[in-house]
Amino acid sequence: MPKGKSDPGDGKGLAGFGRYAGPATLILSSLADGAKHGYALTKDVESFSGVRLSPGTLYEALARLESQGLIEALDTDDRRRPYQLTAAGAGALKAHLDAQRRVAEVGLRRLAGNWGTA
Amino acid sequence: MSAAAGPRESAANRAARLLRWYPRPWLDRYGAEFTELLIADIADRPRSRARTLDVSRGGIVARLADAGLTGGPVVPARAGTASARASLGALACSGAVFLVVGAALWSQLTIGWQWSDSAGTPAALATTVTSAAMIALLALALTAALPVLLAIAANFTRQLIIPAAVLVTATTLLFACGRHFGNGWPGTGGHRGLVPGGLAAFEWATSLSVSAYWAHPGALAAFPAAEVAWMAASPLLLAIAVLAAATLVRRAELPPRLLAFETRVGLVACAVMAVFLAGCGCWVATGGQRSLFHAGVIDVAGVALMALALALARQAARAAGCRLAPAGR
Repeated sequence: MPKGKSDPGDGKGLAGFGRYAGPATLILSSLADGAKHGYALTKDVESFSGVRLSPGTLYEALARLESQGLIEALDTDDRRRPYQLTAAGAGALKAHLDAQRRVAEVGLRRLAGNWGTA
Repeated sequence: MSAAAGPRESAANRAARLLRWYPRPWLDRYGAEFTELLIADIADRPRSRARTLDVSRGGIVARLADAGLTGGPVVPARAGTASARASLGALACSGAVFLVVGAALWSQLTIGWQWSDSAGTPAALATTVTSAAMIALLALALTAALPVLLAIAANFTRQLIIPAAVLVTATTLLFACGRHFGNGWPGTGGHRGLVPGGLAAFEWATSLSVSAYWAHPGALAAFPAAEVAWMAASPLLLAIAVLAAATLVRRAELPPRLLAFETRVGLVACAVMAVFLAGCGCWVATGGQRSLFHAGVIDVAGVALMALALALARQAARAAGCRLAPAGR
């Protein structure tokens, strides 16, 4: 790959993914459950999020995640190559989801306080 | 063959067509698995315009990254100096777009200059600056092309035959037709020559396609049929010539020192293009002031297109330099 793999401890996580952060989060969340190939990833992401990742978008995100060392391809004789989460990827996903949870908790608390909904 | 082989074969053919959007290094790494995903996706959604758009967009992004025009680790690196050659190919394409559009604007200025007793200050400044820059750009293009052609001739291989033949044919046709249609140059007989008339006429003829007449079919219909055909065919010929040249540069095993030289020439050309653009910008910003130098919407669009081409050319030249550095000069 053209760029060196990022240090798992560099703390950048998904911050540098820009508009690919959404697909990247979905892919990492899916792989947290175990290794999957492209089509299995698409179906799994669709089942838990309702979002169907189109093939071009999926592989753009996979290539970025792989080049950053957040996922890795497994050796296989099958043409459908599976990918698995790396330790750096697990750390980046946890940091990202923790940040999202903090935002969600603040939003829900304010909704409950001012609008009576939660 | 099973009954299911038919639909799978059809899906595989459609997947193969979609894969054409992607560059070779990307296909070498992801092609097989991406094909499998596309076949499965086509089975789920036989007709999906969103998928076609998504894949074509992804392929364009990958091709831009492969040429060094966008950041992001989307495409695996090519071996040796191939990545730098891909960037130089992109530089050639961007430079060609700039030259053609620039030639069209410059032709308008030179024709106005030929027939006017005195140009206003912005138009005079623009004509002088763009004329000097255009001659410098043509000289730089020759400086860049000659050593590459010599190197290719010295190490000619079978895989270069087709792009070389296409390049020779397209440039010969362009030159012959450009000379022929240049006879109708509106500057002939004018009394103020700033550049050789033959050069101005040739540039005018080869950039006739950059015209506001496309938006006025009625006016276009009054043109001789051969001239309209040339207006339509010349950009196609130019594109074929430039793509053939870029293919030659990408396929030929050019030494790193020559590629480094080409990169430096490219960076100098970008500086000259910036001067040319500034000259045109000065003219367009004032609206041309006098009738012969009137700047219209097509000229504003031309300046915008040249600015984009210059930005891409500069990015490609910088990418070529960065990609050559690890290869060692």
